[in-house]
Amino acid sequence: MARAFRATTRGYRADMEAHERRLLSQLCADVISMLEARGEAWSDDAAAPDDSFAHFRRELAGLGDDLEGESGGAGPEPPEDAALARLLPDASDDPQEAAQFRRLSEASLRESKIADLRAARMALESDPVALSEAQAPVFGRALNDVRLTLAARLEIEDEEDAERVHRMAGGGKASTTDEFMAELYGFTTWLQETLFTAMLDVMPDDQ
Amino acid sequence: MISAAGSTLTQAGTDLDLHRSVLHSRPYQVVVWNDPVNLMSYVAWVFRSYFGYSREKAHRLMLQVHREGRSVVAAGPREKAERDVTAMHGYGLQATLEEAE
Repeated sequence: MARAFRATTRGYRADMEAHERRLLSQLCADVISMLEARGEAWSDDAAAPDDSFAHFRRELAGLGDDLEGESGGAGPEPPEDAALARLLPDASDDPQEAAQFRRLSEASLRESKIADLRAARMALESDPVALSEAQAPVFGRALNDVRLTLAARLEIEDEEDAERVHRMAGGGKASTTDEFMAELYGFTTWLQETLFTAMLDVMPDDQ
Repeated sequence: MISAAGSTLTQAGTDLDLHRSVLHSRPYQVVVWNDPVNLMSYVAWVFRSYFGYSREKAHRLMLQVHREGRSVVAAGPREKAERDVTAMHGYGLQATLEEAE
């Protein structure tokens, strides 16, 4: 059984069983695969450094710079998958604005999440899991992306759903995939809560 | 004196950036939305560490997200608001950009 994250003189540490670290690392790997697959699906756009040149050409051709035309068909569509949609959300209520924002920023957001998740997997190689002050937020972000992914799979959309999943995880021996996912969700939630409570505690008041 | 030729493409890029920032010089605000997954401790920590808000301000904004469903957590020029929204997405918070009223 794991022991919660706590502050040490050099950062934070948590004692976790080998199988807990392995499971969590595998979950990070799953989220990485999901994000990479999304990247490959839109690789033509990701590998388009001449995007602003295309914009320039439109202006040159007298097509104007209306943003609707610019985003039409060029950028990635919002993800249909619920977990990806949660990790890579729309940045605006206005669909046009959201599409333009996504075209400009989704690839780098995806890359930064993949980098966080890879760093978390590295940290999970050591026993106990020890995080420096600089590593802790990175680990926390990765842990949160794992939680958001599990929550999407468990269809947590409001507080009642969260309560339902909490009850499902309380049963002890999980016998279905959903119960197992609910246990993992509970475990990662607890880890994150202890990590950020410790991080808030050591944060100076006058910041 | 004349500088070396050949910087035409870079120049075009700069002009486009300038064009874009002039178009969008009105103030924008960063809205964070409530969701049933992100922990209150985590959200408060993000507000403190990313925006540099005090314990009290971070806590107040976090509670406003939780109770009212949304909170305007920052405002400023569009470029800064865009960076903030992307950073919030990096932390897994639901954030959107909107024009200040």
